Amino acid sequence: MSRRRSITLGGASRDGLTSLGLVATLGRLSSHQRLLRLAIVAGPSLTLAATMAARGSFQPIALLVIGVLAIGCAISPDTHVGLLVVLLLALNWVQTVDDETTPWLLVAAAGLVVLHASMAAATVAPPAARWDRRMSRRWSARVAVVMAATAAAWSIAVGLADADLRGSAPVLVVALLATAWLTWWAGRRSVG
Amino acid sequence: MIVPGWQPTVAQVRAGAGGAVLAVAGALLRRPDAVVLAVPMLVIAVWGVLRRPTDAPDVADAIDHSTLREGEATTWRVEVRTADELDGVGVVLWAPPYAELDPPWGELVATHRANADGTSSAVAAIAMRTTRWGRRSVGPARVVASSPWGAFRWTSANTGSRLITTLPLPAVFDATAPATHAAGLVGLDRSVRPGDGSEFASIRPFQAGDRLRRIHWPRSLRSGALHVTSTWADHDRHVVLVVDACNDIGDSDGIDGRASSLDTTVRAAGALAEHHLRRGDRVALVVLGARGIVRVPAAAGTRHLRRVLDSLAAIEPATSIRDDARHQLGLTGGSLVMMLSPMVSDVPLQRAISLAGRGIAVVVVDTLPDGITDADPDDPFRALAWRIRLLERSRELRAVGAAGVPVVAWRGPGSLDQVLRDLARRRSTPHVSRR
Repeated sequence: MSRRRSITLGGASRDGLTSLGLVATLGRLSSHQRLLRLAIVAGPSLTLAATMAARGSFQPIALLVIGVLAIGCAISPDTHVGLLVVLLLALNWVQTVDDETTPWLLVAAAGLVVLHASMAAATVAPPAARWDRRMSRRWSARVAVVMAATAAAWSIAVGLADADLRGSAPVLVVALLATAWLTWWAGRRSVG
Repeated sequence: MIVPGWQPTVAQVRAGAGGAVLAVAGALLRRPDAVVLAVPMLVIAVWGVLRRPTDAPDVADAIDHSTLREGEATTWRVEVRTADELDGVGVVLWAPPYAELDPPWGELVATHRANADGTSSAVAAIAMRTTRWGRRSVGPARVVASSPWGAFRWTSANTGSRLITTLPLPAVFDATAPATHAAGLVGLDRSVRPGDGSEFASIRPFQAGDRLRRIHWPRSLRSGALHVTSTWADHDRHVVLVVDACNDIGDSDGIDGRASSLDTTVRAAGALAEHHLRRGDRVALVVLGARGIVRVPAAAGTRHLRRVLDSLAAIEPATSIRDDARHQLGLTGGSLVMMLSPMVSDVPLQRAISLAGRGIAVVVVDTLPDGITDADPDDPFRALAWRIRLLERSRELRAVGAAGVPVVAWRGPGSLDQVLRDLARRRSTPHVSRR
């Protein structure tokens, strides 16, 4: 009757929360958490499927590697394995897909959004906690907003592709500086 | 280690770093598709940074009831209040043994609501049903607040523990046996002494000091001399409950399952105390347990019942301290001593014999649970050892019975009637006691 429990949010052991084991944590996942873990695996699969569809060929090794890493993300969503999966998926896309404005790009981006959002959502609540409708609606609305922004970016990319723009060193430097400033600003606001 | 304040999460690092790397790579490689893949990550990262909370939330927890009966439930609540927008508040409550939680595992997530004063708060409530007597701590709890997108996380230091007392739920008990001898002159039972009571004794000649309303006029007129109706005095019982908490034999599943020897002992003691106190008797309690000897002086009334139950709830089974029978229990003649024990050591039996030898009425209530000789798959010799010990024990119990101390197994209502009746009959005959 006496039972000791893991007090872990999201199944990992950050913030001083102790974990008594992976099996114990996974064994008490609520139905909402199971759906999120399923989405964590489904997101990279969607991106990989879009990549293969855009390329027109099957990628068994990529499927194996990404599949294993995605399962690792589902088991421990509060780890940096997710970042590795995002970068590998993007690298695979850039390396194998030649059409830079294919509509499959939107599907691939949607897979990345699903991966990131489900991993983040899985860490907000303890493993056995049930979500309420307000939280589900809130997260769904956010994902929709981000997808709309991605679609807008894709539309711009499609529009610029027809313009036949030539490379410009000043524009590149400005873009890199803007990215560096954005990173610095985000980092400064994040810490402290 | 808990880092104070709002800290960026792995998700925020993933969004920021992943987005930045993809954007830079897209710019350097002249691949707009890489930039498109970076856009959602960058949007999420910037969104998370813009909505980063700054104030540390205030956490306040409380529990509705600090004293419960076995099987009753209460609610533990926590409120997290902050001036910023929170996405969700995850709560994990560390529950004590013999507690059933709703939601299961004591884990839940609460969403924030905006207050009229501009702040937002999230309230979480966890229902807890306690299934075994005792004093236990509820908590600590861990509260983790998250900002939108789970980008930043604030982890509370553990909340304090809340002590709750679970009073034993007394077993059903009733007894109709007459009282044994006692020295008191108030109460519900008939005394062996004549006096001012309600129980008719005889009609006798009038004596100086008799009340006029006691005159029995028919008999007086017939006999020509005044006669009065005499009554027996009423008295209460002085019951002493001796609880042997030196051992806890058997498994305990709480109020809904198997009962260990200490469960049976405590619930039986509660039932006996409740029965006698409701009858107006005086009840004392002596506990032989981990804290040595704990005494609750004799008193009457329902408030005393609460005191007795509180003391029973505070019992901890002794593991190293043993009752070596050298401690004096401070009992005197005229008391009815009910000793509740699983009788796995001979010391309580020696105590019972010793008390009986001093002229104190003693009843031993056997609280050893059934099924301790059942086969144990983990230890095949355990059942055999218990069977051997029970053979020795039955011999010791026979010796105790031969010394005039009745031993009766606890079976609930009426289980003590026969022995109490025998005891009352025996007390009315002359006997020799050792001083």
